[in-house]
Amino acid sequence: MAKSKYKGKLLKLFFGFLIVFGLLFPTTSKALEKVKLYLFYSNSCPHCAAEKEYLNSIKSKYLNLEIEMLEVTENPENSDLLGQVKKVLGTENNYVPYTVIGEIGLTGYNENIAGQIEHFIEKYSYEESVDVVKAIQNGEPIFEGENVQEKKEEEKVPITVPFLGEINPKQVSLPLLATLLGFIDGFNPCAMWVLLFLISMLIGMKDRKKMWILGLTFLITSALIYLLFMVSWLKIAISITSIMWIQKLIAVIALVAGIWNLYSFLKAKEAGCTVVKEAKRKETLSRIKKITSEKKFVFAFFGVIALAVSVNLVELACSAGLPLIFTQVLALNHLTNMEYALYIFLYILFFLIDDLCIFFMAMITMKVTGISNKYAKYSHLIGGLMMLLIGILLFLKPEWLMLEFL
Amino acid sequence: MKIIGISAIWCSSCLIMKKVWTKAKQKYPNLEWVEYDLDFDPEATSYQVEDKLPVLILEQNGLEQSRLVGEKTIEEVFVWLSQNIKENY
Repeated sequence: MAKSKYKGKLLKLFFGFLIVFGLLFPTTSKALEKVKLYLFYSNSCPHCAAEKEYLNSIKSKYLNLEIEMLEVTENPENSDLLGQVKKVLGTENNYVPYTVIGEIGLTGYNENIAGQIEHFIEKYSYEESVDVVKAIQNGEPIFEGENVQEKKEEEKVPITVPFLGEINPKQVSLPLLATLLGFIDGFNPCAMWVLLFLISMLIGMKDRKKMWILGLTFLITSALIYLLFMVSWLKIAISITSIMWIQKLIAVIALVAGIWNLYSFLKAKEAGCTVVKEAKRKETLSRIKKITSEKKFVFAFFGVIALAVSVNLVELACSAGLPLIFTQVLALNHLTNMEYALYIFLYILFFLIDDLCIFFMAMITMKVTGISNKYAKYSHLIGGLMMLLIGILLFLKPEWLMLEFL
Repeated sequence: MKIIGISAIWCSSCLIMKKVWTKAKQKYPNLEWVEYDLDFDPEATSYQVEDKLPVLILEQNGLEQSRLVGEKTIEEVFVWLSQNIKENY
């Protein structure tokens, strides 16, 4: 009995330390590549003025960014240069503003273009790219218009998927990965039994307002613990992602976690609820009883937060493979902070979706409804296969995880 | 002959199986049926529940004849009941 209690405490300490260490981890970004952005504009163009203002506003955000603005209506040589650049980049229009970053040419200016500008600034901060404008200015040989067009076509390598037809892997993979891994992670029974017990006891309180507050507090705290873990690992991973042996270590973790999941799938005899060790069960149950019978609501509130923190720190061990691997794939993709936040949010949403359904159904019907465990073992199968795949890719083709497929 | 059903309020499979048990009771109204909660009923501990819930135990004169462990379909429960009841009546 002491051994499992000791193990639980060790897990909480380990993940608690990892989260704190990750958050305090200085975001020392690797020496960023210098990024050159060219803006072809005209003095009479309102969109150009808006973009110029926007570009000035992001200068302080991207210290490795250098901006060159080229007015085309009153400077014939800039206008010629623009023509040549558009020909090479395969852009068949003569509008301004025209923004060039590396080999990417963006026509016009709006919120979407602004998002793309930042995306490519971030991308080329980590990767070298051909400065097409400079090459033309210096008269250097660069690939012809068609090659760039071909390269662009290649980058948009559509994959034909049964039933779905042609999909572009870039736009599909990360949200799909977030949804799938999050959903599979959520199927993990480690914390489900605590939630069900908490809901049963909440229903016994016969006070709807308290039930909603305590139940939602438990779920939100669980989400926050996951968020903290994933953000702190992301910060670490971004800084060390280029260190090869770390990537290989993560690959090993993915392979081991994958094999463990497949083993759990094969070992899983009959479906049903895994009975947690009696001592641990009794401890958690008495904590929950204490929370729901607490006279002072503020103690119940903080009690449920403490419960969610400790349960989810252990839950992280139960499924640490999945959030860790997902965050690693995110880190490989050099996204903007907004994109990181979006994908982590998506992961956590689908991680909690079954818990949210059970909670809302219980609060509405005042009865606990269970989800069959018949399919829980298949989450081990799918999760295991995905982790094996990611582990192998991390070893052999990490660039595929950068969703470049080139 | 007695049927003992052991479950727990935190176990989602048990919640699902409770509906199956209700139908089984309707099909076999003469059977004595007792249910225990693993955490709240001390009697449950005398049935050595291992690591899976729910558990159905069939007893004849205080002696366990058979047990059905885990989440089962209604057909599986009915088959188990009909086999064991025939043997022990």
